[in-house]
Amino acid sequence: MSKKTIEVVVNGRTHRAEVPARRMLSDFLRDDLFLTGTKRGCETGVCGCCSVLIDGEVIKSCLSLAVHADGHEVTTIEGLAVDGVLHPVQEAFVNHGGLQCGYCTPGFIMTTVAMLNDNPNPTEDEIRHGLNGNLCRCTGYVGIVESIKAAAEKLRGN
Amino acid sequence: MKDFDYLEPASIAEASEMMLAHPGGSVMAGGTALMLALRQRMVTPSHVISLRRIRDLRGITHTPAEGLRIGALALHAEVARSPLVRQHAPMLADMASRLANPQVRNQGTIGGNLCYGDPATDPPSCLLALNADVVLRSARGTRVLKVDQFATDYFATALEPGEIVSEIRIPPSAFDAGYHARFLRTAAEHRPLVNFAVSLRKQGDACEDVRMVIGASTRVPTRLRKAEDWMKGKTVTARLAAEVADLGASEIEPISDIRGDGSFRRDMARTACRRTIEDLFNPAGSAATSAA
Repeated sequence: MSKKTIEVVVNGRTHRAEVPARRMLSDFLRDDLFLTGTKRGCETGVCGCCSVLIDGEVIKSCLSLAVHADGHEVTTIEGLAVDGVLHPVQEAFVNHGGLQCGYCTPGFIMTTVAMLNDNPNPTEDEIRHGLNGNLCRCTGYVGIVESIKAAAEKLRGN
Repeated sequence: MKDFDYLEPASIAEASEMMLAHPGGSVMAGGTALMLALRQRMVTPSHVISLRRIRDLRGITHTPAEGLRIGALALHAEVARSPLVRQHAPMLADMASRLANPQVRNQGTIGGNLCYGDPATDPPSCLLALNADVVLRSARGTRVLKVDQFATDYFATALEPGEIVSEIRIPPSAFDAGYHARFLRTAAEHRPLVNFAVSLRKQGDACEDVRMVIGASTRVPTRLRKAEDWMKGKTVTARLAAEVADLGASEIEPISDIRGDGSFRRDMARTACRRTIEDLFNPAGSAATSAA
């Protein structure tokens, strides 16, 4: 088996690990680092529930090799709360019914964090287009869109 | 996924040597398409040769004489937000900003897209309408091909063993307007059923010159040469837009697959062509005008 040594900063902490070349980033996070907040859903790049940030940009960790994260910074859902205080996007999803079963939620929240970094004041149309790499089977998206509007407002300081 | 050896060449020459030394290997740029194929064991390469450390494949630059140069590893998101692309090829930046979904735009590359040869994507038709050059390099030297020479068939390209795409060049153009339209079967789809790309030079209500391309519905992006000839030099009316669209739809050979059969695709190609021309000229009597 072909192995590679990688050094990845995950949620601010540096991890050095020897991984098989074929290890997906999603598997590395969940099975090697036990960061199980990142979900595996379709594992074919459709559902988006494995979304994480690499250097601040959202990607699907089921379509990315762990070796491709070598030398980069990864942020997962576990990296958002600070000292037990939820990130404003997490808080908004709780307060505005942005989830039902919750399985897709880490992916939606990571996508939202990246979206609001790029565009702090998105229109509803921009929010909906920005979510087209994430699927939710429960909510019908209404609560998710409301949550994102509320999070955007809070992050803008209102 | 089957096991493989993973290689990271530091230069185009080294990558080319590795590809020749490992003919059972696969080249990886962003990996969005290759990872899917690997996970489903549609391909089982002995080696994955990642290009990510090759600096010569990055960057977006522009010179007045040569136009835009977009490194093959430019992410779709980088193409979308590049001030140079937005200034000199706005339809390309606009296409890239709507391609697939944010996650794919942050991982997929313009060069990887072309090399995979998947017809159900947006960049090839857009680049053909922009008269782009695809630059191929190997240890043996450099070749420059147009997009319709590079894309040879369904999932097939003109790439030879040991060759990689290093950059896309978009030469300065005499066109002054353009648009890339995509039609999705449902709003939740990521892949276009059909797309239509047009570059043109307007003189008032008349079309002085035009290049039109249908993609995603055909094995390779297809120039609409009869439609172009019919449109050139004429005043664009709603009637002319419909005639051009009819001609264009008649000169493609649509594919049939799970996303749509050939006759549906031909209808949607006609519609995308007509509506885009109407939107660009807004002639009296068109749907664009009557809806306003």
